[in-house]
Amino acid sequence: MLIQQLVNGLTLGAVYTLLALSFSLVMGILGILNLAIAELFMIGGYLGFTLITAGFPLPVAVLGGMLGAAAIAIAIEKIGYQPLRDAPLVTPMLSTLGFSIILQNVATNIWGSDPAQLPDEYFGKQYALGPINIGEMQLIVLVATVVLVAVVAYIVQKTPMGRALRAVAENREVARILGVSADRLTMLAFILSGSLAGVAGVLIALHYGTITPYLGVEIGLKAIAVMVIGGTRQIWGALVAGPLIGIAEVLTVAYGGSQVRDFVVYGFMILILLLRPQGLLGGARSDQGQRV
Amino acid sequence: MSRIKSNLPRVLGTVAAVTLSAMVGGQAWAQEIAIGAVVPSSGPFAEWGRSNTVTLKMLEQQTNDAGGINGAKLKITILDDAAKPAQAASSLRKLAGDEKVLAVAGPLTSSAAEVTFPVANEMKVVSTSQASSKPGVAKLNRPWAFRNTIDEGVLAKTTVPFYKKAFNIKTVAVIFDAKDATASTVGKAIMPAVLKANDITVANENDLLSFNTGDLDVSAQVTKLKALNPDGVVVSADYSQAITVLREMKRQGLIKPVVGATQLISSAILKAAPEIPVIAPATFYATMTGPAPEKFTATLTPLLRKESGLPKDIEPSMYDANIYEIVSMYIDAIKKAGVTGKPADLEADRTKIRDHLAKLEGFPGLGGPIGFNDDGDAIKAFYVLQGQNGAWDTKVKGCSSAPNHPAC
Repeated sequence: MLIQQLVNGLTLGAVYTLLALSFSLVMGILGILNLAIAELFMIGGYLGFTLITAGFPLPVAVLGGMLGAAAIAIAIEKIGYQPLRDAPLVTPMLSTLGFSIILQNVATNIWGSDPAQLPDEYFGKQYALGPINIGEMQLIVLVATVVLVAVVAYIVQKTPMGRALRAVAENREVARILGVSADRLTMLAFILSGSLAGVAGVLIALHYGTITPYLGVEIGLKAIAVMVIGGTRQIWGALVAGPLIGIAEVLTVAYGGSQVRDFVVYGFMILILLLRPQGLLGGARSDQGQRV
Repeated sequence: MSRIKSNLPRVLGTVAAVTLSAMVGGQAWAQEIAIGAVVPSSGPFAEWGRSNTVTLKMLEQQTNDAGGINGAKLKITILDDAAKPAQAASSLRKLAGDEKVLAVAGPLTSSAAEVTFPVANEMKVVSTSQASSKPGVAKLNRPWAFRNTIDEGVLAKTTVPFYKKAFNIKTVAVIFDAKDATASTVGKAIMPAVLKANDITVANENDLLSFNTGDLDVSAQVTKLKALNPDGVVVSADYSQAITVLREMKRQGLIKPVVGATQLISSAILKAAPEIPVIAPATFYATMTGPAPEKFTATLTPLLRKESGLPKDIEPSMYDANIYEIVSMYIDAIKKAGVTGKPADLEADRTKIRDHLAKLEGFPGLGGPIGFNDDGDAIKAFYVLQGQNGAWDTKVKGCSSAPNHPAC
């Protein structure tokens, strides 16, 4: 049972990792917490779900979820962030909170509050490896997480675009003087973050075979905790902290009870904030995110 | 002729006086009868709240098309509580205080009812829940609180013996939604006690499994359930949460019969894992036979399916039937108890409705006659249903009171 629980924890951790990465892309570069990301994850899931049930293959569903979430992320940047860029940090964050509530309401009106369920034929194969039961979608989620984290890390660390993003993150004004279009890169950060949330939403909705408009809230809060634990400016931090929290959560539920689950997760987050605010993989205290 | 002429001013004067008197409120009844409703049109139970709203609008139109109530037009004011207890309580306060309604249908959940019923007592207005079934919620808030539902403890006493016999159950494992008032009470207290009384061992008696409303991942809990290898599983949660558990059971290959409370009854749960039998009690279900339920379902279904934000294949739920019955009982009370609906009589009218409901026996409900016991809970027939392969099937008929009661 322990090995099966570890597999369960890794899968859950993969979900957190992808979403934490979405949060940290905006948080690390712009220093704001885009609270609508959790709902972009949910909307991406619904779009993928709709495409799959309409008979489209998985890659089309993933692309659909990604593009849909990215399009909404553009709207959020244009309406909810750009006009408020010079306001105190809490202002754009509240604006994204407003978007989050609107998106949840839109999803409830379009898809209803009942859980949407994937028909049986889309459940995917299950593999029994000794005492472990692992599903096809579970494997896809795990592999896709590692690949996506690697791709994002490559983009941010090795490409000219990534260097420009990091320059904006360091000092927006200096980056602008050096010829970097801060506005364009801010938009890019929102698009990247939204796309990632959309992909994560599709994979998770298909893995669990069910989705509700309230999916984003609970997972989103945990993903923020994962981002903080991993380090808000460390892309690889999410890959370490996600599985760590996933496994801790699953083992707490299995051996302690669900009533203490959130105590463990958020207690750990508070401990990290107190003892190592730069996160597990943060090198220096300067790596810590801005206080928002 | 001259006498007629001389009397004409007096006759005209009398007619004018009578007309004026009627216009300023001298008639026997008001021109509009106001009823309130508190339903969750947003939030996690939005589907139920929205279908409740369609149901009430249908009843309002049916009543007004048939000439209203004692000639007065029925107006149902519906407020959304988003299934939040505080919002439900303030909605009732607004309906009773500002809208001056005669009675309120709702709130839906036990959590909301626990907070709203004391306000109903304070405002002296009848409030009848369409879904709350946690034991004792109305009893604690007499005399103004009622529930058109049956206590889950009563229902479990018929459901569990059928479950045991039908699937040869000797051991079960329990999982429940710890954040839902009814689910938590059923999972922690009612089911373990009734199972024990029926000689069924609870494999995780000292370690009942739980999850929280909104959780999507219940893999850890289901892995643990599977390790216990029980003959069956008690899933105490509302159907939307139970779907998550059933999907995970199916994914992990735990195909065992499930038993639960009225919260499981829905058409959506039948699609979650069609091969897993689900046993639960209900007072109404969409495929119920008989003239009243069939007519209700046939009229309401197209209206529900036309409503945006509701699934295209939605069917009337037990809670639609319950809220339809609640307002129908209010209308019955208004007609029979001498309720005028006039602002000056508001307090007396509300009391008349309360007293009428308290003494009600054999009201023609959709699933059979309805009355209320001293605790404010409905005395009505119920059915133990088995859901499997996409359909609910009646297995046992029961009654929430002694067999000779008019409602049984």
